[in-house]
Amino acid sequence: MSGAYRHFPILMVTIPFFGAALLPFLAYLRRKAVPWASAFFLAISGGLGTFLVGKIPPGGHLSYPLGGWEPPYGIELRVDFSGYFLMMAVAGISLAAVIYSRRYIEKEVEGGRITAYYVLFLLMSASMMGFVITGDVFNLFVMMEILSISSYALVAVTGNRNAVRAAFKYLLMGAPSSIMVLLGVGLLYSVTGTLNMADLAARVGDTGYREVLIASYAILVLAFMVKAAVFPLHLWLPDAHSIAPSPISAMLSGLVVAVSAFAVARITFSVFTVHAWGLVGTTLEALAVAGAAAVLFGGIMAIYQKDFKMMIAYSTISHMGYVVLGITALNPEGITGAVYHILDHGIAKACLFMCAGNFIYRKGFRKIEQLKGAWREMPWTCFAFSLAAWSIIGLPPSAGFISKWYLVYGSVRAGKVPYAVVLLVGSILAAVYCFRVVYYMFFQPAKEGDWGERLSEAPASMSVPTWALSLATLFFGVFSYLFLDSLLKAAAQLL
Amino acid sequence: MNLWHNFHYAVAMVLFCVGLYAVIMRRNIIKKIIGINIMETSVFLFLISIGYRKGGVAPVHVEGLDPSRMVNPLPQSLILTGIVVAVSITALALSLAILLYRQFGTLDVNRLFREEEEEAG
Repeated sequence: MSGAYRHFPILMVTIPFFGAALLPFLAYLRRKAVPWASAFFLAISGGLGTFLVGKIPPGGHLSYPLGGWEPPYGIELRVDFSGYFLMMAVAGISLAAVIYSRRYIEKEVEGGRITAYYVLFLLMSASMMGFVITGDVFNLFVMMEILSISSYALVAVTGNRNAVRAAFKYLLMGAPSSIMVLLGVGLLYSVTGTLNMADLAARVGDTGYREVLIASYAILVLAFMVKAAVFPLHLWLPDAHSIAPSPISAMLSGLVVAVSAFAVARITFSVFTVHAWGLVGTTLEALAVAGAAAVLFGGIMAIYQKDFKMMIAYSTISHMGYVVLGITALNPEGITGAVYHILDHGIAKACLFMCAGNFIYRKGFRKIEQLKGAWREMPWTCFAFSLAAWSIIGLPPSAGFISKWYLVYGSVRAGKVPYAVVLLVGSILAAVYCFRVVYYMFFQPAKEGDWGERLSEAPASMSVPTWALSLATLFFGVFSYLFLDSLLKAAAQLL
Repeated sequence: MNLWHNFHYAVAMVLFCVGLYAVIMRRNIIKKIIGINIMETSVFLFLISIGYRKGGVAPVHVEGLDPSRMVNPLPQSLILTGIVVAVSITALALSLAILLYRQFGTLDVNRLFREEEEEAG
């Protein structure tokens, strides 16, 4: 048994993939079992992950050669603490979302498509886990493609006309950006002759082809900006995230865009490294400006939305700006803030979309106006929403406060005070759009016929994941000291 | 090492721009999908020309063949994976196009999105 944990990272990725392949057969035998089976595969995957606690050397990483082919020739998995941390976040939030899906999906997706839904869901979670721990740039591309294709399909899974249109818009921006990732990887390979990240990091410093490397970095960052919906390239996000079924919105908004932002950090710190600072400087400065614009634009647009899910989607654009600003601060505090923000934004945003889902499930309400006086009928959902909103705004003691603290601290330490101010203004905007909804829910009289007096909360399989996530935002705020030290060490290792 | 010797890279970049132009400027959805395919092909062309070696032979190991004469097999395997990805994107895009046509009766993006504004307004 000793040393068996070395195989756990790859098992965490392959078990849901295997499960996705198995589900159609299971559906043929017993359709009712499909949701439970998908939750089971994700639970195993997350459970294996818990065995890795304390196994990753501080500031170091676990290396796993796939199929026994030693790197740099074979594909390597490099599990450093930030990758592991995000992998666990993906496992946890996916598990909550898949449990939530069972009842919700029955209502929105027609019977014949339910199996397809769970297959795509497992593919999406598994590829995200592979995406954050891979140590090979081509493998990064492949994982990203599985992730993107399953996301396009999941947006359209209801088959409703607006959903199909949103999915096509997503695909139309996503597909060229995927091709650009392949182009960037190809350019990197053409001048270094390797695809392994550690090997690349050793070689980018002393090739004679500066221009090719600059182009490759810029192309990769631009491509991941589309996937992460950083401000000028966000156009696909509001439609896709608001029209998708709520558990899918939770996954897309909480995780899919965030891991793409993490890929920018991977490319910057694990491939190009600070030794190649001359190569990446200009691109990173442009990225920081885009991130700052995203924080303000997303926040302001969120204030003007009438549709509840649309507001949460715009808030995601704002928060991806936060992550980007943390990465471009280029110090351990900024990177720690970015990684922690990916986690707590993921949890809180997933919770917000699940609350929206609860309202849609019970009442079919999508407009913010219609939430006036909602607490009478659905108090638990309203409280869960308020807790998650607390974290989105970044008030203590929630997890959002911790990550925003580190982001602001990182920006100030990097001497970029204007960005720190932008981050704080972003929090004020978040307070405006979140408190408006909270105010409507609790302190406004309900419109005639919208909400009755009788309690009608969402079913337990939907309320429990919602509440688990909203309590998790508090847990990761209060117990953040358990993780921050390792994250800081891992971030310092990257620089 | 001038443009004449590396003209295949230039061709790949021109194709890439042609594809991107089609994706951005064409109004017909099918033409946009064709644009995506042209972009993909240009990147494959670029990758395959990285591995090219003048007078090289297929990278199959046989007795008495000097490995330094083989072309680089790695870009070829990358493209093989890339083609699989490209086919799945195209298949998904086309099936979405079919759904869009069934529900809106048009493949013109301008008309698709004008209708969206009307619905919202």
